[in-house]
Amino acid sequence: MNPLITSLARLLIFPGLLCAVPAAWFFLWVERKAVARMQGRIGPPFMQPFFDFIKLMGKTTPPRNGIAGLLMRAWPLIAVSSAAGAVGLLPVLPASGGFQGDLILLLALLELPSMCIIAAGFSSGSIFGEIGSAREAVLSVSYNIVFLLAILSIAASQHTFSLEALAQLPSSPLRWLGILALLVCLPAKLHLNPFSLPNAEQEIYSGPMTEYAGPELAMWELSHGLEWVAAVGLVATLVAPAVAAGWLAILIFIAISFAIVLLLSVVASATARLQIDTTVRFYWQCTLIFAVLAVAAALFVRFKA
Amino acid sequence: MKLWNKLMCYSRQHSPWLFHMNSGSCNGCDIEIVASLSPRYDAEQLGVRLEGSPRHADILLVTGPVTHNAAAAIRTVYGQVCGPKAVVAIGSCPATTNVFIESRTLEGPLDKHIPVDVFVPGCPPRPDAIILGVAKAAEILAARGNKLPEESVMVPIADSACCKDGCACEAKKESEVKTEGVQA
Amino acid sequence: MNILTMLWKNLWGGSRTMVFPLRPDVTEHYRGLVTFDPTLCSGCGICKMRCTAKAIELKAGKGEFTWSYEPGQCTFCGRCVEGCKDHALSQESACPPIYLTVGELKKSYTVARKAPVRPAVAPKPAAAAPVVEPVSGGTN
Repeated sequence: MNPLITSLARLLIFPGLLCAVPAAWFFLWVERKAVARMQGRIGPPFMQPFFDFIKLMGKTTPPRNGIAGLLMRAWPLIAVSSAAGAVGLLPVLPASGGFQGDLILLLALLELPSMCIIAAGFSSGSIFGEIGSAREAVLSVSYNIVFLLAILSIAASQHTFSLEALAQLPSSPLRWLGILALLVCLPAKLHLNPFSLPNAEQEIYSGPMTEYAGPELAMWELSHGLEWVAAVGLVATLVAPAVAAGWLAILIFIAISFAIVLLLSVVASATARLQIDTTVRFYWQCTLIFAVLAVAAALFVRFKA
Repeated sequence: MKLWNKLMCYSRQHSPWLFHMNSGSCNGCDIEIVASLSPRYDAEQLGVRLEGSPRHADILLVTGPVTHNAAAAIRTVYGQVCGPKAVVAIGSCPATTNVFIESRTLEGPLDKHIPVDVFVPGCPPRPDAIILGVAKAAEILAARGNKLPEESVMVPIADSACCKDGCACEAKKESEVKTEGVQA
Repeated sequence: MNILTMLWKNLWGGSRTMVFPLRPDVTEHYRGLVTFDPTLCSGCGICKMRCTAKAIELKAGKGEFTWSYEPGQCTFCGRCVEGCKDHALSQESACPPIYLTVGELKKSYTVARKAPVRPAVAPKPAAAAPVVEPVSGGTN
């Protein structure tokens, strides 16, 4: 088929926007419900993130003036589109195409929402936004090193930068080391406890999001949900065994994503929010050494072979 | 269009996001508000989220008799709450200033400053009473439609971070709102 | 690992939440709205004097008085109930209800003053000539 049509279908239909947005709402609900149940509460009803989205679309926004106002309105849209693009790149179906290097594109697209949050905090003109963005930037620098090194080790051990090929190849022990490092970075990427500092309510009044309201906030929540799908989906495609049948692949993908979401919820409800210095120390002192070792081992194995 | 309005009405009732503002209270009611999020009472089963910014919230929970320092702050924060909004006065203090009646440090009950929709009496009210008040306010919010309370001034961004005395960002005092009919 | 066992028990042990609109019961000594019994009240005004929040008003009239109570003003301390010597006041063991307009819950009672009850007097003995007692003089 025409590659443009295939790409558009992947971006907009499956696993793109049409399927990713309900999946995003589903993952957000699963996380809230699992955390609530583990805390001994009931938690929100099933359609809650959908109703939150609709309600936010119906609110008014304060007037935004000048270039800063234009930027403020643009950041959430950029975040949503890049997160949707990241989801569209996931190789859920067995023969979904892709190209050499689309792993790097996926990482770049996955990184854009955090960049947008940082920029949004600064362009909102509120002091709480600045503090929250500064914290988000520090967090981003800390976990990204480990994240990228983990991806590098996986790619280097399997000799490819194509997501499709990575999903199909049988996994090696080095790949599992890389996946473990990825899982350690996921709570920071998704702003979950113990690394939920940029979202610290009552400390910095919603941080970068302080001045956002209404449809803009709906877009931020949606980009957060799509980030969930993309990040969890990335780990799921790396973990999932390669199968030939399309429907089985989708089922396995959904099951593994669900398991990862539950795992993240357990971690989120079992830990408390760490301070910024403890977070940075955790990533730079504790995990960085293992990520570096994983990359070194992968390169060593590769150059020996 | 009617379907969208129905959906919007349902969503507003089932997704009330709160912002809690203390206008000089003794913190008893504030503790009970946080207790309503605890496992026994669990406000989240109604979709309630305690938000960190007034711009995110639909329902403003106010505790405390309005002191001199808090009067301007209350009006500013009320102006910062976006879109269709509702106000719940938690405890007897914002409704009638309770035991502090005729105190010279107070600016009077809350409805002299902002329009209040639901009053939850008690000193402090029980968390289940607070949740009932929030549910009632969510109902009122949903029934109100897109209509904003009249004469509420949206505070623009540049002024929203300041709350010093004598600053020009105080919202005008809201008078009683005449309902004009709800958008179907 | 303690936290993980706790989370596991919570997950499978069910939630402790009272599903809305269920509400927990209050104890029998809960201090709720003040209830007034007009048949027992004598209009002394001790409750109005003791009220910390000026929620009780007593307007005296000729032959009657009006007792009013504003629950929105009340702080539910119970001093009025403690001070009422006629035991006309009590506090119900229920949570005060939410309301939408100020003054919605105000209650006023106009009570006719009761005739004062005189203590019973012993009937005078049958009128006889007053007995003049000989004055017992002093010793001479």
